Amino acid sequence: MSAILVVDDSKVMRDMVVACLRAIAGTTYTHASTGLEAIERLSLAHFDLMVLDLNMPDVGGIEVLEFVRRQDRLRALPVLIVTTRGDEESRERVLRAGATAFLAKPFTPEAIIAEVRRLLPEPAETRA
Amino acid sequence: MTTSTDLKEFLTAYLVEAEEHVALANQRLLALEAAQRSGGHDARALREIFRSLHTIKGLSAMVGVEPVVAIAHRLEAFVRGYDRLGTAPPLHSTDVLLKGVQAIAQRLTALGRGEAASPPPPELLAELDRLDSTQAALVEQSGPELDLEPELLAKLAPFEVEQAVRGIRSGERGVIAEFFPSPDRAAQGFSINSVRERLSACAEIVRVLPRSLPVSPESPAGLSFVLILLTQASDEQVASAVGVKAATLKPFSTLRAVASPDVPDSIGAPAIDDEENDPLAAGVRRGIVRVDVNRLDDAMEELATLIVTRYRLARAVAALTARGVNTRELSDVVADNARQLRSLRAAIVRVRMVSVSDLLDRVPLLVRGLQRTTNRRVRVELEGTEAELDKSVSERLFPVLVHLVRNAVDHAIETPDERVRRKKPEEGLLRIACRAHSNTRLELTVSDDGRGIDRQAVARKAGRPVPETEAALLELLCMPGLSTRDVATTTSGRGMGMEIVKRVVIDELGGELELATELGTGTTFTLRVPLTIAIVDAFAFECAGQRFVVPVSTVDEIVEVDRAEAVAVPANADGRPNLDIILRRGHAVPVVRLANVFRMTHEPGTGQKAIIVRRAGLPIAFAVDRMLGQQEVVIRPMNDALVRVPGVSGATDLGDGRPTLVLDLVALGTSLGAGGSARSALT
Repeated sequence: MSAILVVDDSKVMRDMVVACLRAIAGTTYTHASTGLEAIERLSLAHFDLMVLDLNMPDVGGIEVLEFVRRQDRLRALPVLIVTTRGDEESRERVLRAGATAFLAKPFTPEAIIAEVRRLLPEPAETRA
Repeated sequence: MTTSTDLKEFLTAYLVEAEEHVALANQRLLALEAAQRSGGHDARALREIFRSLHTIKGLSAMVGVEPVVAIAHRLEAFVRGYDRLGTAPPLHSTDVLLKGVQAIAQRLTALGRGEAASPPPPELLAELDRLDSTQAALVEQSGPELDLEPELLAKLAPFEVEQAVRGIRSGERGVIAEFFPSPDRAAQGFSINSVRERLSACAEIVRVLPRSLPVSPESPAGLSFVLILLTQASDEQVASAVGVKAATLKPFSTLRAVASPDVPDSIGAPAIDDEENDPLAAGVRRGIVRVDVNRLDDAMEELATLIVTRYRLARAVAALTARGVNTRELSDVVADNARQLRSLRAAIVRVRMVSVSDLLDRVPLLVRGLQRTTNRRVRVELEGTEAELDKSVSERLFPVLVHLVRNAVDHAIETPDERVRRKKPEEGLLRIACRAHSNTRLELTVSDDGRGIDRQAVARKAGRPVPETEAALLELLCMPGLSTRDVATTTSGRGMGMEIVKRVVIDELGGELELATELGTGTTFTLRVPLTIAIVDAFAFECAGQRFVVPVSTVDEIVEVDRAEAVAVPANADGRPNLDIILRRGHAVPVVRLANVFRMTHEPGTGQKAIIVRRAGLPIAFAVDRMLGQQEVVIRPMNDALVRVPGVSGATDLGDGRPTLVLDLVALGTSLGAGGSARSALT
């Protein structure tokens, strides 16, 4: 099984992400509604991938990302940034901060599925 | 496996969340404006407005609502400019922003009704263009700094530094706590979310910063959260909320020492002991699930079918008992089942309850708009309560509140000049208070300190004698079409307001309405409404010129009565035939003329339709004149013993303002004993 952490302060958005990804077999999902909660969950359990929003109330996605990259055990965690800021500048800023991939909202289910399949350490389906 | 998830399925959930952000943005815009008026800047409110708009934009893009994306994008871009500068946008821009949020709200409402969202209003875009061109570069101000570790200070936004400085100046203590998450702590209920939730009852959270640490017994997760707090509570209280020892807390203050805020704890503000307190703490998300109200209705309907099944079960058990079978154990199970069903029903009813504050929170925005158009100055005081009421009651109550607030601002409260002449404060006061009145009712008072209601003027206008009591005055005010205003105004239109208030509060909700008014001093309306109402699907029909309704669930079928085929049963005491018999699928069904039962006169040859119900499995038909259709009605029970009549379960309002009786035809059939006697008459 692959464990995916979905971080967004919007519940609808988290639900939409999970609904899209359900098509990938052998995955489990954990929700985090704030940046701080995401950091806490990452520190307490193992995840294979994080889907991260940038715009959150307490600690934004960039800060979560910076925190993750400073931690030895999280340095290699694939992080997919999902954001409404789809411009080139934001993309570069996010990739510089350590994101593995970047997806602009609105995205299609196919697009996020393709990204997640690419980022998971090994195809979840074959292990499931 | 299918990969095509249709995100349109999320439309309802999207609407709920987007509307929440609209409400939040409105609230914060008002806070921003209030701060500006008093010469300050609420940078946190500005940041939250930005975030709400950004979230609305992102969600709208996902579900493909382009007009909302476009509006939110423009508003967000404008707000973001000022957020980056750390300064307040010009005062006049608040209006445009509110209009923009309103435009989003209108589009969400349209989507909720199944209509398309219309494109952004061009005049709004033009106004935003004008604002953008005036957005001037402004210099960042630097306030006095805090004696925090440089590492922490560097991470605070300017407005957070400002917030901390302001808090300390106003007598709060700056405290730093550090929380070390671990699986053990999580098992004890200490996670960063729960810590924040508990802290919100006793402290203001300026910022939470994650800190990376080497893994050690003290920090098993290699992580801590540094909480920068402002509080008036004791160290012990703060420490227990975080789950650490009080000795580990560190104080901080401003660099340039201001008048000592060192107030001993014992005489400080009373601390809140109960951590359940303040469930509405800002920004904290509890385990809340948003549900489409229709789904709750579905659940209630499923429950209704369960209840019917239970009755069948009970009857079957009774039949067994009658045959001499020992059913004691079975009866116990059935009784347990009944209790469980009742609590399940109560649980579903509880889910439908919404907080009264949802209703009251909308008032400040309304008053703000009214002040502009009416040239009044009004301060709003809201006194809330923990009370909750059924969503449908809350929805019905809102237009009532709007009417009362409009009347108060538009007519009761004088213009600032006039108020000064009358030696009143320039600013009028509108006070709305809510409290639970017994366990089943909510009392809502709307008071103003305006001119009061002039009885003589009302009487003249209505062409009636001057009312002697306030109750009589209220009755006069609620007369259809009465208006005591001589000029039509944009806000209230002409009259009608009070008539609607009365119709909703008394006729629809079965509540009470009271008035207290004193000329020159002010007016108070008191509303008492039930916290819940029963809503059912019902057939409306006409009989002898009167309208009635009967719940759909009690009706077996509705048939045409062919007089030629009906068999008359010999007349009863008053000389009129009371019973006919019709044949229905080979069975004789007694037909009772409803008009006769209620001793109403009816034209010969009427009674073409019959409503068939079953009592104890036997059909009985009630002849009526005309079916009017099916609709959802609110039943208010008739609690007054003097008007309790067998066969009448309550009253409702079909929208015409007249009370309409809700009939329980099954009970009526039983009380007549008609079915049985008809059968014997036939055989």
